[in-house]
Amino acid sequence: MASICECDLPGIGRKFQIQTRTGDKLVVVIHDDGRREMYHFSSGDPEQAVSVVTLDDEEARAVAGILGGLTYRPRALEDVEITFDQMVVEWYRVGPGAAAVGKTIGELDVRQSTGATVIAIIEPDRTKKLNPGPEQVVREGSTLLVMGDRKQVEAVKKLVLAGR
Amino acid sequence: MENVVLELGLAVSLITLAGLLGARLRLSIVPFAILAGLAVGPHAPRFGVFDFRFIQSGSIIEVMGRLGVLFLLLFLGLEFSMVRLLRARRSILASGLVYTLINLPLGLLVPWWMRWPLRETLTAAGVTIVSSSAIVTKMVVDLRRTANPETEIILGLMLFQDLFIVLYLALVSGLIGAGQASPLKTLSHVGVALAFVLGFLTLGRRLAFRLNHGLAVLSEELLLVGLFAGLTLVAGLAERVHVSSAVGALLVGLVLAETEHARRIAQMVVPFRDFFGALFFFSFGLGIDPLALGGATGPALAAVVLTVIGNLAAGMLAGRMARLSPRASANIGLTILSRGEFSIIVAGLAKTGGLLPVLQPFAAVYVLVLAVLGPVLTKGSTQIYAFLSRVTGRLAGTGARGRAAARFAFRRRG
Repeated sequence: MASICECDLPGIGRKFQIQTRTGDKLVVVIHDDGRREMYHFSSGDPEQAVSVVTLDDEEARAVAGILGGLTYRPRALEDVEITFDQMVVEWYRVGPGAAAVGKTIGELDVRQSTGATVIAIIEPDRTKKLNPGPEQVVREGSTLLVMGDRKQVEAVKKLVLAGR
Repeated sequence: MENVVLELGLAVSLITLAGLLGARLRLSIVPFAILAGLAVGPHAPRFGVFDFRFIQSGSIIEVMGRLGVLFLLLFLGLEFSMVRLLRARRSILASGLVYTLINLPLGLLVPWWMRWPLRETLTAAGVTIVSSSAIVTKMVVDLRRTANPETEIILGLMLFQDLFIVLYLALVSGLIGAGQASPLKTLSHVGVALAFVLGFLTLGRRLAFRLNHGLAVLSEELLLVGLFAGLTLVAGLAERVHVSSAVGALLVGLVLAETEHARRIAQMVVPFRDFFGALFFFSFGLGIDPLALGGATGPALAAVVLTVIGNLAAGMLAGRMARLSPRASANIGLTILSRGEFSIIVAGLAKTGGLLPVLQPFAAVYVLVLAVLGPVLTKGSTQIYAFLSRVTGRLAGTGARGRAAARFAFRRRG
């Protein structure tokens, strides 16, 4: 966990300083009037901010939701999860350079090696294949709907990425 | 008295124009309102119905200005939080003591050189020692330096100076109220002043619970009227025991700050503080004869130079003590230079106390310079630091050896 320290800025508000693992410093200042400022200091110079973003209250809440992974709009089919107890359904987009590109689901042996199921594939051109057979080829840019428990779904991601 | 309202309108219009000019230059309204007041007055011409001499309304403007002082200090008291002060006491105490030890003697230097009497000397030192927390805080926010490491120290110093002003005003107003009395009588005056302050604060603490209850049931309208009543009554009583109305207003603020309604009241006070405050700076300028500025310019400019030196040195030292880099430490001194409302309040105190009239033009010139120069230096602090480090490097000797020596000196201090 990164170290976070907070302190008072009398007459201005409160300051939160987060030292990230990557060596950057993120400073969030919450002004008494509701504005928020985010300062980014690179590891090179801890005294001169590289960039500043000022947000009003509403924007700050939206950003907080995005950072915390609370907001999702299913327009961009990125990694999303729906959790039923232990079961997870995840949209997983096959990135460029993934080992599974060009292979079929049968070749990958998804169900045997991971325990999860690919319940649908959405091709880059938006055609949907529900319940794909073992002859289905995985293409770059396709999105796989994977179902299983969390560990199994993670295993599928690994398999697609690294081929193992 | 038939033209009073018209004259008042004229005065507020002048202040508005001054404020517009200030906003255009992104500077505080304080110096411009003083300038507007200086520009008009008994020596000014009159054009038909527009009388720029403000003869009929002068006294009314002055009363409104005095209300402005009350609101400024009431707000200071409301914002002042003992809890906050105690939470940050370690860092504040060190930097505050460094600041005072360096700047108080320097502040006494000019009046001592001018052979002013004791009370005038102390007042002048008060004028030069307190930064304008309003300008400083606004500069930090506007320049987007709130996240910088030195900002904590800067704001801590502002808190310290607020505390300093509280004690200083109580002490000096007691001295001023005593007049030209024997040392023993003066001491008793100061004692009465301090007793009044402490007694009022303890009483306020005792009654905090009752106040909470009483204020909760009041409507906005009644709260405002009641606030006015309490403020003027306490300030007036404070004047009766020679503590000055300013200190009385401050005490009201400090007591109300302990209640649950501090925030609500502070928000209520802001518009009154801004309006009457602007009138106060205008009336301060109005009370000064521009011809008297000449005699005060020399000492005021000398005081400006000493302030710049003292503030820079104190900032450097406080920053190095807190393990900041030289650049951040230089930023401290260059940020706390701005002077404004408090310096004028202290000088106004001298006026009601009947001290030497030279103090007002002295304070006016001093504040006019530093209310403008301070923000300019704050904005250019990066370039100034680069320049200064080149100069000190050269002073310490030329070439690598000198630079190494300068670095070594910094490290020794750090």
